Amino acid sequence: MADFSSPQRQSKTGIIVMFAQTLQEWGRGLLPILIVTAVNLNNKKIIALTATLIGFFVLALIVGWCRYRNFTFWIDEENEEFVITEGILNKSKTLIQLQKIQQVNIGQSLLQRIIGVYTLEVDTAGSNKKEGKIRAISHQLAIALKERLLDNVARSVAQTESAGQNDDVPALESQKPFIHISFLSLLKYGITSNYLRTLGLMLAFFITIYENLQRLVDTSEYDSKIDSILEESIAVQTGLIAIGFLLSAFLIVNVVRVVVKYFNFRIARQKGSLLLSYGLINTKSTIIKPEKVQITTVSRNYFQKKLDILELRIKQATGGEQEQKQSFMEIPGCDRREGDSILQLLFGSIPEKGVMLIPNYRKLVFSIFLSIVVPLGIAYFAIPSDVLLDFVWIFPLWAILRGLSLAFGFHNYRLFVHDRFIIKQSGAWDVANQIIEPQKIQALSVSQLFWHKAADIGYLTIYTAGGKLSFQLGNYTVVSAYVNKWLYELETSDSNWM
Amino acid sequence: MDFTNETLDTTNLPRFEEVQFTPIHKDYWKVVLIVEAIVFAVVGIAIGALYYFQQEFRDYGIYLVAALLFAIVFTVGFSRISFSKKGFAFREHDVLYRDGVIATHTMIIPYNRIQHVALHEGAISRIFGLAKVEIFTAGGSQSDIEIPGIEKEQAENIKQLLMGKIRKEL
Repeated sequence: MADFSSPQRQSKTGIIVMFAQTLQEWGRGLLPILIVTAVNLNNKKIIALTATLIGFFVLALIVGWCRYRNFTFWIDEENEEFVITEGILNKSKTLIQLQKIQQVNIGQSLLQRIIGVYTLEVDTAGSNKKEGKIRAISHQLAIALKERLLDNVARSVAQTESAGQNDDVPALESQKPFIHISFLSLLKYGITSNYLRTLGLMLAFFITIYENLQRLVDTSEYDSKIDSILEESIAVQTGLIAIGFLLSAFLIVNVVRVVVKYFNFRIARQKGSLLLSYGLINTKSTIIKPEKVQITTVSRNYFQKKLDILELRIKQATGGEQEQKQSFMEIPGCDRREGDSILQLLFGSIPEKGVMLIPNYRKLVFSIFLSIVVPLGIAYFAIPSDVLLDFVWIFPLWAILRGLSLAFGFHNYRLFVHDRFIIKQSGAWDVANQIIEPQKIQALSVSQLFWHKAADIGYLTIYTAGGKLSFQLGNYTVVSAYVNKWLYELETSDSNWM
Repeated sequence: MDFTNETLDTTNLPRFEEVQFTPIHKDYWKVVLIVEAIVFAVVGIAIGALYYFQQEFRDYGIYLVAALLFAIVFTVGFSRISFSKKGFAFREHDVLYRDGVIATHTMIIPYNRIQHVALHEGAISRIFGLAKVEIFTAGGSQSDIEIPGIEKEQAENIKQLLMGKIRKEL
């Protein structure tokens, strides 16, 4: 294994990366000025401009070189710290305690791919920034450093857990990917995901087209009737073609986005962790440690069910408050078998749905009131009646669409409690199953509105280090009994939540 | 290995619903009143100034005063209920905090999930020798417990107790 105990610089080619970075940083500030001068060019100015640009490049090269020279990193074995020093005039030294390291990501941008270096990012529990970042490191060294940095994490985990549990780990230690998401799966995922967004877009298009048609009818009254009918049919045709074209364009963009982001998605096992790597232009790789996983969400919609693909979202433990959104990992478009094997690896067994809790009917009534009755009522009274007449068709449309989505949402809203898993199912179109293990619970809260006392219903919120999970208007007595049970389990065992 | 895995009788587990909650110190009510008095004094002065400098407002003066009085009565009444609803309990293995006027909200944190504990003394609370105990977990700011209106000495004791528990659990 490579030695990291003494300060070392990045790969030599790192100068290019540093140069490019400097150029990019300065370029952003200088671009407006450059554009202004480029617009009113004359011979004299061309010379001046070229000279400035050359000077600028040379300066950037020098700064890039200095940045390279002054950037060093090493592992302080004595204090168990990963150290990065950088800066030309303002020197800075970053110390990261090895035991606080949560994640080490290795990635590659296009430029880095050309010159054959990688970025290595160190993520800790302390803050939401990527704290340590090495911009140019060879693949071999990156892998070695990553192993060294995470080695410590594995060791401290092994210390707290009683040793001997991970006997089967060495056998699994192969780097060979055990899941490789095929191009076809990505295509399927690209077509079926974000379906609601596509639907919204479709609706917006129809409304604009409809309005345009109406305007057309109004203006064509002046022309002869035959002409107007002709024009109208042409307009309708072109309108429909335009809708079709834009919709397919949207779908294609969506698919391309998914493919570029997740191309060649591979999952490998490494020392009991999941190693993900993906990306067409920028290759990214991350590690997911099962013991750090807090909430796992499996979701799919009707089409995805038919095509046998599902989406996995994994939320790991985060240190701070407002970073929960960024810290989830998405695994797109794996089929049922692959999904099961990932879940198997994360939880040790496939999550089972235990006792089912259903929400009280008041949840449906209240949400209908809140999102159908109230907005439509306000619209009815706020909009003048002559304008209202033109839009009156929106009322039943909204009521039906929203009502359907609420009814489906209510039908899918369930909490399943098993000895080892708590699963919350929700969603109208995209049905999501959020899975947590009871030992990951940080805090529990129950609350009850005073007029719900007689009906014996209330709210339950389960807090984990990766976000919360709430279940509304379940049977209060049953929920309380589970709270007591979970508390008992948490308090009698020394289970590890991270 | 001495390991058993008997089926739990969940009906015999200790129930959080039956816990006797300790109400917060009665002096804390004074703290609440003083804070509200300051806020309403500022609002009252603002209305008075408006009344004095803007002639047009004189006609509505009576309504403004009525609205202010209503707001005072409403707020004080609301905080009185809120004050009497607040309560905490330290069990052998967890801490409970209950509050809420319209909804009764109970938050429970097991000791082995506490990250750290802090004491906070507000300027007015300090006059009455009261402090706020803040208990943090890794579950984000929403899952923290803040118990206001505890006597300084008792708060210190609670902090020591919790620190001891955390250390022992580790």
